[in-house]
Amino acid sequence: MAKNPETDDTMETTKQNQSEEEVEHSDEQKQEDELRSLLLSDIGDLPLSPPSATQVNFVSYFITDFTKPGHDQYIYRHANGLCVIGLAPTHIAFKDEGGITNIDFNVGKSDRSVLKVSGKRKKNAMRSESNTALCKVSTAKDSYIVRCCVKGSLLEVNERLIKQPQLLNSSADREGYIAIIMPTRPADWTKNKESLITLEEYKAKKEVSL
Amino acid sequence: MSDEAKPSPGDSPGLSNGLVSDSDRRVYQAARSLHPSAVKDLLSLGVCERCVFRLVSVEPFDFDLSSVSASTLRRWLDSGDDEEAAASSEPSCSRVCIVCLGVLQFVFSDARQTMVRSDCGSDYAARITDLVKQEGHEFDSFGLEVSVPSTVMENESSVLLYLKGKYNSEGWVQSEKIISVKDALKVLVLESLKASLGAKSDSSSFHIRLTYSKASDGAQGASETTHERKKRKTDEENGSTCMSENSFQKVYEPCSLSVHCNKMPIFFSGRYFKYSRNVSQTRWIIDDERMGEASVEELIGGNILPACLGDSYKFHAAGREDIDVRMLGSGRPFLIEVQNARKCPSQQSLTEIEEKINNSEKKLVGVKDLKFIGSQCWAMMREGEAEKQKQYAALVWMARPLEEKDIDSISSLKELKILQKTPVRVLHRRSPLERERTIHWMKVEKMKGSSNYFLLHLCTQAGTYIKEFVHGDLGRTSPSMGSILGCRAEIIQLDVTDVKMGDS
Repeated sequence: MAKNPETDDTMETTKQNQSEEEVEHSDEQKQEDELRSLLLSDIGDLPLSPPSATQVNFVSYFITDFTKPGHDQYIYRHANGLCVIGLAPTHIAFKDEGGITNIDFNVGKSDRSVLKVSGKRKKNAMRSESNTALCKVSTAKDSYIVRCCVKGSLLEVNERLIKQPQLLNSSADREGYIAIIMPTRPADWTKNKESLITLEEYKAKKEVSL
Repeated sequence: MSDEAKPSPGDSPGLSNGLVSDSDRRVYQAARSLHPSAVKDLLSLGVCERCVFRLVSVEPFDFDLSSVSASTLRRWLDSGDDEEAAASSEPSCSRVCIVCLGVLQFVFSDARQTMVRSDCGSDYAARITDLVKQEGHEFDSFGLEVSVPSTVMENESSVLLYLKGKYNSEGWVQSEKIISVKDALKVLVLESLKASLGAKSDSSSFHIRLTYSKASDGAQGASETTHERKKRKTDEENGSTCMSENSFQKVYEPCSLSVHCNKMPIFFSGRYFKYSRNVSQTRWIIDDERMGEASVEELIGGNILPACLGDSYKFHAAGREDIDVRMLGSGRPFLIEVQNARKCPSQQSLTEIEEKINNSEKKLVGVKDLKFIGSQCWAMMREGEAEKQKQYAALVWMARPLEEKDIDSISSLKELKILQKTPVRVLHRRSPLERERTIHWMKVEKMKGSSNYFLLHLCTQAGTYIKEFVHGDLGRTSPSMGSILGCRAEIIQLDVTDVKMGDS
């Protein structure tokens, strides 16, 4: 029984290709397994309630009774200097029945919601002082002026609030933020900071458990 | 020996053994053909022999002149008034040319301010070779660049003006065809330099630059002072003649020469892995303090630079990740650009560097496929950028337990379009824009320890902010993981698991 050398060779090569493919597959499989073990091994404790992104990336400050009693606001300052402004939980607007029903950015000399800030240099941003009016929030009972609290450039206002003012009632400290301000000079912030209090001081003052 | 065969001093190059090379004979004959009184004039003003040849000769200035020493050339130029030439008090070797300031005389001041002389082109080339070898480069071809002080051009103009003024009526002064001092030096020296360096000459990636600079302000040469220029202009207006012999000051100090070698940047490519959550991609220093423990750039570049004996390096990567995000999977493509490398490491050395980094004690960073790469490097980088897809694994926490319906709704979202406002964490240095991005697919993997956590695998368009997609960035990224699940979601940690490139 003479074996045909040509066919034998081809059979050998096919087998070789197959085993090469298998080796490739198992190489890929090995890489994937390595990746999985790297991914899973790095996971530490899984606390029931980890700190939120806001708590991790921002330092919380508060100002109470700003220009009028009960006007309490928060200033969350990021490591890069930007400040997120909003209503603190003890703001008197929340005490009105039905909560906040409307927000109007057209206060002072211009409508804050039509700003068009552009570019890295933040052209056309409105300059604000700490008592510059930011917006007016209204409840069934009354309306209240919200002010900037920080001296700097107004980079953006949360225009989603116009259509969804209830965000202020449900999550004033996250999706219900009001504006983002960039202090223009480090000196401005240091001076501003003097009138602000920390989270601990705020809790103590308002006897609120947050 | 008959009288006819014996060469007489005035008629031939007059080599002692009677033998004359073809090139020398050509130069000799050219020298004899020059306008004798112009030559005598220029020589007595202080112009060197080779510059006289440049300015006055109709023959092209070429390499033949290189092997003839200045004193021999002087002898051939002197028109038979041998006694006068011998009697002239100033020995020619102490004068520096008022036009080229010593450049074409093969004379310069070295770093220690000693005057260095060479008789002929090959000798000069040998001195330059010594200076080049001090820089330590390995090369097999070079481009020669010469830089001379601007006063050389001014000197030449003044002398030509003088010649024109005196000999213009005779009509042989041709200022357009005169070869510049720079080009003349290259002609004289290039061939010998090629031989003594053992290299070819081309517009290559390695350049040798000869920089001549004035010894001091006093060595101005033939160019006029401002006062003289004003006087000459008014003289012209008045119709009187121009430059006189007295306008030319003698020069005693030649230029100083510095030799610099520069190699064009070379590139190495590879892929890197980042295993640490405390290592930034590039060196990151705020207020004199380093952020993070180390940087990928320094761990890789810092190992390649010494192997190249280069001056400095630059790190380029196809995209980037935050300091607290690991780079796993197939790694991220990068380039290391090395400036002025003295030598190019072999593939063997590169493999050793790769192993050294991968086997280091701390295992902060890994490298794969490190190799030398040529001009196609930028095309390769561009492949990894905007159009490509990236894959991630994120550990996500949610405010309520994960349910099967959540897993289904997440996996069913394909090519999900999201709108991301510039995240607050980068808003201070980037434009406030709204960017539309695509999440190509997502897969949920349950965590054994808790039903509030899961591992989210996702594949997204390049340029998507993953962290903001998970926690929503105060509602500025929409939809977000939180809005899809209908509760608060936070990202605990993130890993890059694949950077897809065209080739893999």
